[in-house]
Amino acid sequence: MKTAVLGITLIALAGTMYGCTPRASSEGDIAVKQAVQQDDKESRQEAKAGSNATSGKATGDLKYTQLASITGPTDDSHLIAGDSSTESDDVWQTPAHPSEESTKEFARELKEDAERLAQESARNQEALAKAIHRAPNPGPFKLVEVKAKGQDGAEEVVECWQARGKPGEFGGTLTVSTFGSGPKTFNYWAHQDAESAGIGYLMFERFLDLDPWTGETYPRLAKSIKVSADHKEYIITLRKGLKWSDGSPLTADDVVYTFDTIVRRGFGNSSTRDTLSVFGKFPTVRKIDDLTVSFQTSHPFAPFLNCLLNAPIAPKHVLEKITNRPMEEFHSFWDVNCDPSTLVVSGPFKLGRYVPGQRIEMVRNRNYAMVDKLGRRLPYLDKFVVAIVPDQNTQILKFYGNELDVLDIKSVRGFDAALMKQKEESGNFKMYNLGPDDGTVFLMFNMNRRENPKGNKNDPKKRYYVDPVKQKWFNDPHFRQAVSHAINRKRIVDNVLRGVGMSLYTSESPASLYFNRNLKPFPQDLNYAAELLARGGFVKKGGKLYDRDGNAVEFTLNTNAGNTARDATCIMIVNDLKKLGMKVNYQPIDFNILVDKTHTSLDWEAIVMGLTGDKVEPYNGANVWKSDGRIHMFDQRLPDSNGRTTVSDARDWEKEIDRNLDLAATTFDEKLRHKYFDRYQQIAYEQQPFIYLYCILDIASARNKLGNYAPTPLGITYQPKGSFHNLEELYIIAARH
Amino acid sequence: MSVPVYILKRALQALPLLLIISIMSFTMLKLAPVDPLAHLRANPAISQAAIKAEEERLGLDKPAHVQYFIWLKNLMQGDLGVSTSGSPVVVLLMQRAGNTLLLSVLSLIFTWLIAAPAGVYAAVHRGKWIDKLFSIITAVGMSMPTFLMALLLLMVALATRALPIGGLTSPYFFERDAVGQILDIAHHLVIPVAVLTFVNLAHIQRQMRANLLDVLRAEYIRTARAKGLSENKVIFRHAVRTAINPLITILGFEFAFLLSGAALTETVLAFPGLGRLTLEAVLTKDMNLVMASLMLGSAMLILGNLLADVLLKFVDPRITLE
Repeated sequence: MKTAVLGITLIALAGTMYGCTPRASSEGDIAVKQAVQQDDKESRQEAKAGSNATSGKATGDLKYTQLASITGPTDDSHLIAGDSSTESDDVWQTPAHPSEESTKEFARELKEDAERLAQESARNQEALAKAIHRAPNPGPFKLVEVKAKGQDGAEEVVECWQARGKPGEFGGTLTVSTFGSGPKTFNYWAHQDAESAGIGYLMFERFLDLDPWTGETYPRLAKSIKVSADHKEYIITLRKGLKWSDGSPLTADDVVYTFDTIVRRGFGNSSTRDTLSVFGKFPTVRKIDDLTVSFQTSHPFAPFLNCLLNAPIAPKHVLEKITNRPMEEFHSFWDVNCDPSTLVVSGPFKLGRYVPGQRIEMVRNRNYAMVDKLGRRLPYLDKFVVAIVPDQNTQILKFYGNELDVLDIKSVRGFDAALMKQKEESGNFKMYNLGPDDGTVFLMFNMNRRENPKGNKNDPKKRYYVDPVKQKWFNDPHFRQAVSHAINRKRIVDNVLRGVGMSLYTSESPASLYFNRNLKPFPQDLNYAAELLARGGFVKKGGKLYDRDGNAVEFTLNTNAGNTARDATCIMIVNDLKKLGMKVNYQPIDFNILVDKTHTSLDWEAIVMGLTGDKVEPYNGANVWKSDGRIHMFDQRLPDSNGRTTVSDARDWEKEIDRNLDLAATTFDEKLRHKYFDRYQQIAYEQQPFIYLYCILDIASARNKLGNYAPTPLGITYQPKGSFHNLEELYIIAARH
Repeated sequence: MSVPVYILKRALQALPLLLIISIMSFTMLKLAPVDPLAHLRANPAISQAAIKAEEERLGLDKPAHVQYFIWLKNLMQGDLGVSTSGSPVVVLLMQRAGNTLLLSVLSLIFTWLIAAPAGVYAAVHRGKWIDKLFSIITAVGMSMPTFLMALLLLMVALATRALPIGGLTSPYFFERDAVGQILDIAHHLVIPVAVLTFVNLAHIQRQMRANLLDVLRAEYIRTARAKGLSENKVIFRHAVRTAINPLITILGFEFAFLLSGAALTETVLAFPGLGRLTLEAVLTKDMNLVMASLMLGSAMLILGNLLADVLLKFVDPRITLE
């Protein structure tokens, strides 16, 4: 009995998240069973995660109420009845010849269902929007002039941005952590991993930055951005009096050097060059005067300013010596073994010491040109320490043990959230719900129809990348739609993510500024899925599904091993598809093997994986969605030996996506951009080349002693910079006696 | 055969062995369908050109056997190559080797200090409650997964606030004086050493007990007792010295694991050790780093065996070096 109660509690918990009541239908019963099974597993994981979990029921109830309060107040008026669709183990019989009557009836039901769901989804969105933590927008930065002593003792004027928070106290150490093996380099321009980028952003100030409240680009090292009427020239002016940490002036020469030498010539990680190139052409960078630089693009390119964000300005007077030498030496310059005193930075912090495998100690940069409202030079903190923790459970224990001050987003998983909420008061911290993450998790089928040049020409099965029989299934939109409708996303979110996530139906996460709100969510509907399969010529006989040629539908599903959430998701998918008569052989494999399949050997059938997204600029997903894209995984076209990809067999809808993305990238009219991005999402929604499943909610936890901490959904970047978009004005509130 | 000649001979025999091991490991690593650049390929922010440049930089565009010979040639010149992160492998290994050595040597010492006397005591008091107690404790240690043990101890540390949660040094380590630094490290070592000691206790204690029981049944022990020797003399002068032989072989094996035996514990406890480094390298197919670690492990195993054989010669006069 105890377990049954717990199961219902779990569903209720999810219901609260989504603003609807637990379902009393038979689906509810099955969900209870599932939830109970799941709970056994998860309570073990919780024990691992360091809970002092009490008995089952008590924990369940606490989770219910506590999780509701992380996500904010839920209004009872949002509660609505669940849908009446039922399911049983043997769900459907192929409608041999559906009569016209029943088809009409069916269509009407579908329409009603869709309408009801649309309402529910709108309400869910509303409830979720209310629950997301939103610090009030303090408005734009103010530019103030500060007098400082120059090197020769003369007074100089420095143009500083004024921090927007309340004046704080100087001193103290903030300790955070990253999960993983530590940064690979301290040379930002050579970085290839997120962690090194996150450290780079602390040390190297960006030229422009994203406003954490509005998502607009604003000048950071720069003072102003002017765009010409034809949208092809950008004139960007630097602030006066800026200095590197070694005292040398930071001028237009550094900017030109960064873009024209490091980025254009492709030192380190050459990806920035490729994202900045507009239709293959790199913009012309020209120095106008000591503080002004002009960028000229060959075509109007809307994401241009957003792309500039990827390259912080580099110190010419230090790096020039390296870029004059052979290119491969650039990679090992400022690597993890470098002497920290050789680093010359422009950001609020500078590397003080790197203790391999343990932590990174950052110290204040005294030349950082930002002041608080009292005119004092920031940052407030003396030290910013990043502990390197290879295990997520240990990371959370360290936070509970007061060894960490902040647990940034993605360190708090669904099943940690409820437990953590209980400790908020005793641990003197607060949890912040920053809404859905931009990363998406999806199921995809290998839609490749081409011959494998390494295949066996005589064996029809091995001649192609994908067995021709299966090619037919995977390329049938009915098949993909049916799979999409057969998956119970809500149950995945409830049971796997413990409600700390959202179901997804199209390519952009709801966090995106361009999310298409007109695409309606749909529930698991096995009858509709069966109907779709029947339309595709599939027949179910004796519990097994056959295609029109009599082949039994069976395929292999992979995901990366070791990711417990994806593992559980796959098991649920296998069960859901079994109800359609599909036999899915589930095989988790190592991440690096998985990527070898999707990008090199192309030998796979179905995969569940995730990709990071972008909340501000959907065009950054062009790499995935354009038919010649490097991560166009559902139909990956391989580059030739010159790295060029030719596309000869793009489907009409692939071409339409290409066209819409290009149109959106070349117009500056926000209305039009929305229209093009809406259309691209709609195609993704209709064709389901990626069958989107869920995204997680970003939750951060910070001790109450941290002053001026104001995380926002858009103010998130790579950790350890993470949600500290205003790191310079964070301070430790001294204990009052 | 004199001892130095024997050592030289064994060292020469080891060379082809190491070569074969290196070929085998290299082949297995290459055969694994693991993409060393997976983290780049799966990242939408990385361009095709950047991946190509990276392949060339790491030599991944060359055929496997060419890569092996490049590696071997560099090794002959004493160069272990660079890791995928761009740092020299030697530097990475050196950074971690000291930490792991500290951890393994300490736990080795504690294991033997506890297990050997416990084994003797249990054998002498065979069947008594203390023998049973030891066998329960060691059974728990043997059957409990190390990561679980480590996590449990971390939770104890969290509950009591008496011990730090993972790591090897605290953030204020470098501001302390020498004594403070030693104390800080010792404080951090309590949990990892306890985990490894507890887990390894079983086989030494049981081996010791079983060996001693065997010896105690031998006729010369009966003779010794019959001669009227004191029980202490019988056990420590005659029985234990004979019973310790197989343990020396075990000690040789343990030598091999000094540098590589604690990957899981290191990961859970955020300990900056070599095992964790190797584990991460294997998962990302960081060839030079994995090869260096494997070769180091093999060399340690060969060296450990050699040491054990030579030690046996000194302990047991019946053994001759052939």
